[in-house]
Amino acid sequence: MNPRQSPASPATRAEMAARFVGRDITSMRDFTTDELLFVLDLSEEFEGSDEPRLKGKILANLFFEPSTRTRLSFHSAMARLGGQVIGFADANVSSVSKGESLSDTIRMVENYCDAIVIRHKFEGAARLAAESTHLPVINAGDGANQHPTQTLLDLYTIRRIHGAFEGLRVAFLGDLRYSRTVHSLIESLARFNTELVCVSPPQLRLPGDILDDLFERGVRVREEFNPTILPQDVDILYTTRIQKERFPDPVDYEKVKNAYQLDRKALSIYPSRVTVMHPLPRVNEISPDLDDYEGAAYFQQAKNGVTVRKTLLSLVLGVV
Amino acid sequence: MATDKLQREEKTIKVSALTDGTVIDHLAGGTGLRVLRVLGLDKGTMGPVAIGLALDSRKLGKKDLIKIEKREITQEEVNKIALISPEATLSIIRGTHVVRKFRPEIPDLLESVVRCLNPSCVSNHERIKSRFRVLKRDPLRLRCEYCERAISGDDVELL
Repeated sequence: MNPRQSPASPATRAEMAARFVGRDITSMRDFTTDELLFVLDLSEEFEGSDEPRLKGKILANLFFEPSTRTRLSFHSAMARLGGQVIGFADANVSSVSKGESLSDTIRMVENYCDAIVIRHKFEGAARLAAESTHLPVINAGDGANQHPTQTLLDLYTIRRIHGAFEGLRVAFLGDLRYSRTVHSLIESLARFNTELVCVSPPQLRLPGDILDDLFERGVRVREEFNPTILPQDVDILYTTRIQKERFPDPVDYEKVKNAYQLDRKALSIYPSRVTVMHPLPRVNEISPDLDDYEGAAYFQQAKNGVTVRKTLLSLVLGVV
Repeated sequence: MATDKLQREEKTIKVSALTDGTVIDHLAGGTGLRVLRVLGLDKGTMGPVAIGLALDSRKLGKKDLIKIEKREITQEEVNKIALISPEATLSIIRGTHVVRKFRPEIPDLLESVVRCLNPSCVSNHERIKSRFRVLKRDPLRLRCEYCERAISGDDVELL
């Protein structure tokens, strides 16, 4: 899909938008490729436009796990469109700490808002939340499973920079085992004619079921197990933090925590600009000396998060 | 041949002796005790149950057989049997008559049948029914509807 081509025709646009009204955004698996591209097209339209179309609407931001970027960018997206936000940023201040079930929390919260955003440490929590309410539920990350809005903002950023997905060669670096961001993005890029390179220490390789799925679909994917050697033939380096909190054994974390670091010197092997992405927060994976590198796209990703979330909130609340 | 005939007669006697209940026949040899366990019939609290193990079978070589008195098997239980021994035959008996005879089939969606092996899956922490989508039947491959992990038939753990 060429982003330069005009957005979908009005009829198709209305038809596509209607599909999202009241809908849960829990997993990229629930998106058809058409729907995915529609969200990206609409986000281009919405970029920089802050009409108060969500005035009178209330979003509940339920963060059972800590988050800075995702939580604030949902808040910002809602506020920019004139809506209001309630919620919590820590499970310890919610009734969960008193033993309340997730379903009960959601049934209670649905009386106070028009849409719910949830982040939770258990995988499938957003799906369960969606089943517990008639309101639209947006998954802001469920354990190591899915983080669809991150995936959409990553796709949006890639298309803004490279124009299209077809033919792109994308390397994923770091924690490919526990990173939900990587899992979702790989699943989505695999729909287009992309080539994927998975670079990680052996302990953090992509889960077998995801690899099997890619092979079965005939996706061009290869694995490399030395993250200190960057693959040469790529357009994008998608890097991830080694997530301490996902390791059951802290000793395993210590073994791999400094598996790689990108800096200007490391990127000197590339004859032309390579796009460097990271879902943030970074720890040691990307040296600050890359921040003004022309291919550094990680802060742009964070910025695009607000645009994509504005689009999704408008869609599920039926105000497009 | 004489032995075969005798076994067939014995089988007939066992089935017809059941007034009401369920007969699970043609279970692959060695799976009978597992079926007994997953149906909760091994605790002795469910009423009379008869089990035959390692019976000669022309079709299977060896087969197991379970006869449950005064209880008709539920769909959930049928789904579990389908995962353990899909070649089994089930007969529902009412008033000594076989009112329904069928083979278990693996449905598209398995609810409360399989335990998710992912310790971080919400289905292992909240009071909810596990739910798996069947991706492939042969070889069996399932995906947890909650945590989205795919598992192969060898890793299936029944509830």
